[in-house]
Amino acid sequence: MNVKELYWLDELSKEHNDVVGKKCANLGELVKLGLRVPYGFALSVAAYETFMEQTGLKDTVVQIVEKETKAGLDVDKEIDKMIALSANIRETIERCDMPPGLARQISDYYAELQRKVGITDVPCAVRSSGAVSMPGQMETYLNVRGESEIIRHVKRVWASAFTTRAIVFRIHNNMPISWAPIGIAVIMMIEAKSAGVILTVLPSAGDLERAIVEGNFGLGESVVSGEITPDSFIVNKKDMCVESRSIGEKTKMVVYGESGTTVEDVPVELRKTSCLEDHEILEIVRIAKDAENHFGNPQDMEWVVDKRFVFPENIFWVQARGAKYTKQDAGKNEDYVIDLMLQLFRK
Amino acid sequence: MKVYDCVPGLEFDESVDFDVSPVWFQDATHSVPPWTPMFGWFWVNFCRHGMQYGAEKLSLPTVKGWDWRFKDGGGYLALLIVQDPEERRAREERFKVAIKPFIEDFSGMWKGFVDEMVGKYDKLKINLDTATNIELLENFEETINVCRRMWEIHMYMMYGVYTAFVLFEQMTKQLLGFDDSGPQFHKLMSGFDNKSFQVDKGLFDLARKAEEMGLKDLFLSTEAANMKTALLQSPKGQEYLKTFDDFMEKEAGWRLERMAEINVPTWLEDPTPAFAVIKMAIEKGMSYNLDEDRKKHEAERLATEKELLEKIAPEQRSWFKTIMKLAQDSAWFSEEHNHYLDLYAHAMVRRSAMGVGTRFAKEGAIDARDDILFLIPDEVRRAGINPGMFNLRSVVNRRKADWEQWCKQGNAPAYMKEGFTFEDAMKGLVESMDPIALKVVVGSMPVARPELKADLFGVCGSPGTVEGTVKVVWTEAELSKIVKGDIMVAPTTSPSWTPVFSILGGVIVDRGASLSHAAIVGREYGIPVVMNTFEGTKVLKDGMRIRLDANMGAIYILDK
Repeated sequence: MNVKELYWLDELSKEHNDVVGKKCANLGELVKLGLRVPYGFALSVAAYETFMEQTGLKDTVVQIVEKETKAGLDVDKEIDKMIALSANIRETIERCDMPPGLARQISDYYAELQRKVGITDVPCAVRSSGAVSMPGQMETYLNVRGESEIIRHVKRVWASAFTTRAIVFRIHNNMPISWAPIGIAVIMMIEAKSAGVILTVLPSAGDLERAIVEGNFGLGESVVSGEITPDSFIVNKKDMCVESRSIGEKTKMVVYGESGTTVEDVPVELRKTSCLEDHEILEIVRIAKDAENHFGNPQDMEWVVDKRFVFPENIFWVQARGAKYTKQDAGKNEDYVIDLMLQLFRK
Repeated sequence: MKVYDCVPGLEFDESVDFDVSPVWFQDATHSVPPWTPMFGWFWVNFCRHGMQYGAEKLSLPTVKGWDWRFKDGGGYLALLIVQDPEERRAREERFKVAIKPFIEDFSGMWKGFVDEMVGKYDKLKINLDTATNIELLENFEETINVCRRMWEIHMYMMYGVYTAFVLFEQMTKQLLGFDDSGPQFHKLMSGFDNKSFQVDKGLFDLARKAEEMGLKDLFLSTEAANMKTALLQSPKGQEYLKTFDDFMEKEAGWRLERMAEINVPTWLEDPTPAFAVIKMAIEKGMSYNLDEDRKKHEAERLATEKELLEKIAPEQRSWFKTIMKLAQDSAWFSEEHNHYLDLYAHAMVRRSAMGVGTRFAKEGAIDARDDILFLIPDEVRRAGINPGMFNLRSVVNRRKADWEQWCKQGNAPAYMKEGFTFEDAMKGLVESMDPIALKVVVGSMPVARPELKADLFGVCGSPGTVEGTVKVVWTEAELSKIVKGDIMVAPTTSPSWTPVFSILGGVIVDRGASLSHAAIVGREYGIPVVMNTFEGTKVLKDGMRIRLDANMGAIYILDK
């Protein structure tokens, strides 16, 4: 595979897992399905490596660590010193200038993104996208606006690969200190009217003929975490009609704050109103059905309705995975019914 | 010339038929009053064929369908019970495979059969007036084939889906503690549309249209029989007639007053009954509220389903739902099949027979068109190509005299071998586990509850309680005496009677079971129905005030 440093999401698919990390590869896979995902681009693991090489940070990092270990640092016990070491490395990385080639590419992609979305200095989320599970916290930064801020936060995500735990892990496993298969997703921030999940199966009944949509105002976290009673709609997938609806009393919602998400009160007058219009519900089901057909099994997907765009362009997808549900063994069920019928004749 | 049997080979013969079965039940639902020979020939031959075909296709383990005999215009039936346990087991194995399509896609099967039959009916609709004698005879022969095929589909589908109904009733009894006489059971079976109801709706729409077009006064002042002539007098009336005729041609024209007889005209031949319904709808201010009612019943059904499912263990829900769905299918099927099968096919039999009758009369084989009803297919064949060469009057006259006698004397409810009791007979019936016998023809026996001090007991067909005035109805013509809120008392009800249900307070029928016409229609209209009172038409008289408690199956006479 010919590896680039930056990619548009629609250039990616699950084969790019090692190239750009899981999060980016998954988003690319959604785009390939024809799902509208929040617009954005990815920085590959190769971009990280170029950055570390061209800035000389690859060696610098090794030197910083070796200096301390040679001075007799016990990486497992001297926690305070390790924290200082980690902070030192992260600061060094964040202070370093982005190499001009990379900086130009990032600014080109960001400019194109602003054009695509139609918003100057469009606020973005800059998220880490690991290719493998790595110990330690990888950072996510929200509401990042403007080219220089984007570049600054890209560096901060890279720097976040040097938590104390990550450093200790690499030392114990004899891995290069600078080894970090880390990609980055730079994705436009959603201004969520409402968000939630859809399952293209009723999970406990194993009913494959119906889908369930659950949602709340604001971001989807409140629905996924189960803290509030969301609105819930059951849709017949064949007839495409909303068969039942329950409007939850939605007291809280999750919104983006300055540096992450915060919980806010839902305005009283909205609490008992539906967070979705019927045409939005049906559009969500329609798209999820396509995804189900593509994958050949029921899907569990996360959607967001963005208030800045017009229906149906306002529905964005942030996650799709196979749904977990109680399988109805159709054949077994049928055999059992037949068995019951036979019992009837045996009386 | 010797007059042959009406149904050669299947005339009841005491000396041999008690060896086949010690009891022969009268089919009181269909053969009272007695059949004409021509119709008896069709019914006894092909209903019999269809039941055995259906039972065999499905390989029902306990019953091979019914045997039928013709006696004095009455249809008599005996169940063909499988006695040998070994044979039952072998049939069970085949049943396992045969029943599968019903579980997988019942409505898909039904749609295929409807298409097949409607295609066959359409091919029969040649111009009988211009057809040659040979073409007429061919049309008649083909009609025989179509009628036979109708019965095959009829009984195959009915046996399959009613098996699920009986099973579902057992399940509700075991798991939830109520059977098909319970109000909750009926709620589960309500809120479904079907073709018969759509035709009713069309008639109500025509009533509304008449009012909109300013024809209300004309309808109110004209007898139904003269309506067509009256409408032809004005341009507005002619315009209305166009819509009416179109509806008859496409939707309602093959309705017959008696589902199981061909001696009355179809609505297409004589639209008087249709005009009578429209006139009644205008006169009595009937409004077609079935759509609204259905929505209400549907919501109630869904709520009941939900409530009951919660009482059932989660691991049992899946198959319970499968059986419930099929049982619910049987509810709408039992009403809709009348439209596409019995009524339509018999209207086609009448059409073809009348075509032959007209030609026979014209060429001199018989005196009048309707004399054809006293011949049987063998005799139609005898004179078919050259009606002018044969005189069939002696056959007609003898049979007509017999028929008039049958109508006067009436038929026995059963023929039993000496020493055999009614209880023995019922035992055999239950043992057969024949779902059609259990749920349509026989039904549950009423349980008298002395503590209620009621005057008459029956079985709940549709839940509810009501007070009202009795109107005893034997024929369609008597429907006009019903006013809003009346309680109709009848031997049984017929599909062409449905429109009147919209103004009834309640229904009481002498005979019926949970899948009988009165029960199904009563549930959809949301009115109480009590069935199997056996003597309701004898005990209750026109004008009596009564209270009907369908939930308890009890009837109280208020003005004793």
